[in-house]
Amino acid sequence: MNARAYLRIARNSASTIASYRASFVMGSLGVLCQLVALAALWSALLSRGVSLAGFSLAQMKGYLFIGFATGVLATAHRESRFASRITDGTVALDLVKPLQYRGMRFAETLGGFAPELVMIGLVLGGYLLLAGPVAAPAQLGLLVLSVLLVLPIKFLIIYTSTLACFWTSSYHGIAWARSAVTAILSGALVPLALLPGPLRAVAHWTPFSSITSTPGLIYAGQARGAHALVLIATQLAWAVLLWVFAGWVWRRAVRRLAVVGG
Amino acid sequence: MSMRYLTLYRRCLGAHLRAVLEYQADFCILVVAGIVTQCLGLVFLGTVFTRIPSLHGWRLPELVLLYALVGLTQAAVTLFSDGIWFLNHALHTGEFDYRLVRPYPPVLQMMSTQIGFSGVGDLLASLALLVWALLHLHLHLSPLRAAACLVLAASAVVTRIAIVVAANASAFWIGSPSPTFATAVHSIGELSRYPLSIYGLGLRLFITVVLPFGFAGFLPASWILGRTDGYARLGLLSPAVALLTAGLAYALFQRGLRRYESAGH
Amino acid sequence: MALVEVRGLTKTFRRADKADGLSGSLRHLVERRFTTVTAVDALDLTIEAGESVAYVGPNGAGKSTTIKMLTGIVEPTSGTVRVGGLVPHRQRMANARQIGVLFGQRTQLWWDLQVGESLRLIRDMYSVPEPVYRARLERLDAVLGLAELLPVVARRLSLGQRMRADLACALLHGPSVVYLDEPTIGLDIAVKDRVRLLLRELATEGVTLMLTTHDLADIEDTCERIVVIDRGRAIFDGTVRQVKDRYARQRTMHLQFDADVDLAGLQARFPGVPVRPGDGARTFSISFDKNALAAGAVLARAVAVAGVLDVRIDEPGIDDVIRKVYAGELTLQAEPEVLAGER
Repeated sequence: MNARAYLRIARNSASTIASYRASFVMGSLGVLCQLVALAALWSALLSRGVSLAGFSLAQMKGYLFIGFATGVLATAHRESRFASRITDGTVALDLVKPLQYRGMRFAETLGGFAPELVMIGLVLGGYLLLAGPVAAPAQLGLLVLSVLLVLPIKFLIIYTSTLACFWTSSYHGIAWARSAVTAILSGALVPLALLPGPLRAVAHWTPFSSITSTPGLIYAGQARGAHALVLIATQLAWAVLLWVFAGWVWRRAVRRLAVVGG
Repeated sequence: MSMRYLTLYRRCLGAHLRAVLEYQADFCILVVAGIVTQCLGLVFLGTVFTRIPSLHGWRLPELVLLYALVGLTQAAVTLFSDGIWFLNHALHTGEFDYRLVRPYPPVLQMMSTQIGFSGVGDLLASLALLVWALLHLHLHLSPLRAAACLVLAASAVVTRIAIVVAANASAFWIGSPSPTFATAVHSIGELSRYPLSIYGLGLRLFITVVLPFGFAGFLPASWILGRTDGYARLGLLSPAVALLTAGLAYALFQRGLRRYESAGH
Repeated sequence: MALVEVRGLTKTFRRADKADGLSGSLRHLVERRFTTVTAVDALDLTIEAGESVAYVGPNGAGKSTTIKMLTGIVEPTSGTVRVGGLVPHRQRMANARQIGVLFGQRTQLWWDLQVGESLRLIRDMYSVPEPVYRARLERLDAVLGLAELLPVVARRLSLGQRMRADLACALLHGPSVVYLDEPTIGLDIAVKDRVRLLLRELATEGVTLMLTTHDLADIEDTCERIVVIDRGRAIFDGTVRQVKDRYARQRTMHLQFDADVDLAGLQARFPGVPVRPGDGARTFSISFDKNALAAGAVLARAVAVAGVLDVRIDEPGIDDVIRKVYAGELTLQAEPEVLAGER
């Protein structure tokens, strides 16, 4: 296949992101500040050695960081660029290229992976300095594996939601709603165990829980051995399912393009 | 003169409102998105704070009131000055050029570019929280005290708008296609939803002196709640801080204008 | 005092030196290098009220940058600008009331609003009284055919429709100075003609016009004066008529004969006048100064050589002159003041 072409796309996206380093560094500082504050809030909540949903304070701080890191993944190449491709009609040009639309967008997202890692690293350094003791990961290898699997899952959720632009011109609304739902159901806001029963069930049966909760539980050692492997297998399954689903939505969306006459 | 600006501001927002209402589906998406976003806060309050009786001496209804007040100021900011978030785009594309050749201050033109509909969800959710908190708090408000509360709340709105404007004005210096820096600053504003005492000294100073979000949330709320600590007394400075911050933000924006080089030649 | 007074106007930009690709971006991170680009270089310009000035030059010559400084959008690096006694970048609001601006490449219409709504917003921004607004709209409608555009949402407009609406936006408040940056770019002939008609009307009404364009047909019957700028400097400032009379004198006659004609033999008939073989068989092109030689005389000499089947004459246009100036083949001299390319 056109591996070289996709690689070229990924490199272009990486260098575009690198050229806006000032805002990137500023963004990291802002996030760091917010994280430290959240850690302070949780420190106040979990003072006197209380633990909540099985997390000690030191683990909770680590969990918060995982929530941040998984939140950063697949976002350096901004999704608004996917959306505007569709709203301004550039998508028509993509259709005549000998490359797959979804593949090109995934390549762009992968191009953002290195800058994302840099940002995560920077924030991690600052966080360890400022937030006080943070528990070390219980199972580092499994943690890295599950974090890597977050990348395709998040990409596919974002990508598929940008296809909504074929139907509505208000992508902002869709993006907000999606990120709010993601924050709640992924476990980034609070560990899923704290959510009321029905909401927790929804989280478990949707791909969102694979984004933050899975790496978070593996990190804290709440999911070990077979349980951890089942969670990772679930991530893998969601990645495949979402890939297929995205293809299905895309085929319907392109038909729409023909109708609208783009 | 300022009356004319106010009328124009209202006209611009109104025109945008009418344009959005033309597309009902889009409008519904925006409102629903706003409400869903608000659920974030509700879930957080509902799941975490209900398990903990008090936070640094603040009982749940007090925390909820603080949360609601910040939500209300946030809603006002979003509804009435959301356009400033497009500054960065306008600079990047050169679309800003036209705003400099009209007899209406560029900063107001940017701010009144559009209504932020996510503010609707903010407003509804915060009002609900406010009512709930007031029902559980039994605050005694004399007319004078009520008026003072309104002044403090208005000051909080002004401070927040000023910070957002200043943060977005950074686009004159940082040539980024998206307002990453402003987003980061804005998100720090979330810290003012909780009692300042939970933060370390550095962070506390940071959000009262450097980015005075404290004056757009916790500090005036402490006074409104009738607390008698130093924070509450500091809260009475909110109007002064609002004027100062607004002045600084305006000055920063005007400085930025002088740097503007427009896209292309 | 003249309406527009520009003295020693200079604008320099700092441009990042960056190699291509990812490694280039990364290197720039570590070691930041910049080059200073001078877009406008010590420009002097005086425009009297009621003049219409064409401001032309190749791409990147500094035309748009000049306009942006004259309108107060961009602050000059050095030098002074005064328009109607105001310093545009210091007194933006006061200046805004006296000027109208159009950037052909961009729209000032509100993207999601109907054209009529955009015009009403502009009316309110400039506090144009309702009766005046109606009268102006009617006049603009007569030339631009505005009425059909009023109910259309801006993002649905074609390029030509957009430009018509944008012109209306720029003129609605009755400005005394109008700057137009590429007002006909990308337009079809019919719309171009409308735009030119409007410009002529403005000029006859005594509105001061400054126009940058790549299509020199725009200026032939709109502007009296032409300023040519290259690499940030004015290399010519004089009347359009002067340019045409002094430099646009080479006519070219294309001839097709009915028999084989020898180039040398033909050339012998035209001493000092270049004769070139044409594209087709038995065709030739003769370039001559229209003041020195009448077309009839050229034809008469040609007919003496062989029968002429077909004749076509290329009239010199101002665009040929300017094209030669851009290519560095011609240096314009204005009289009586001399503003030569070299200093």
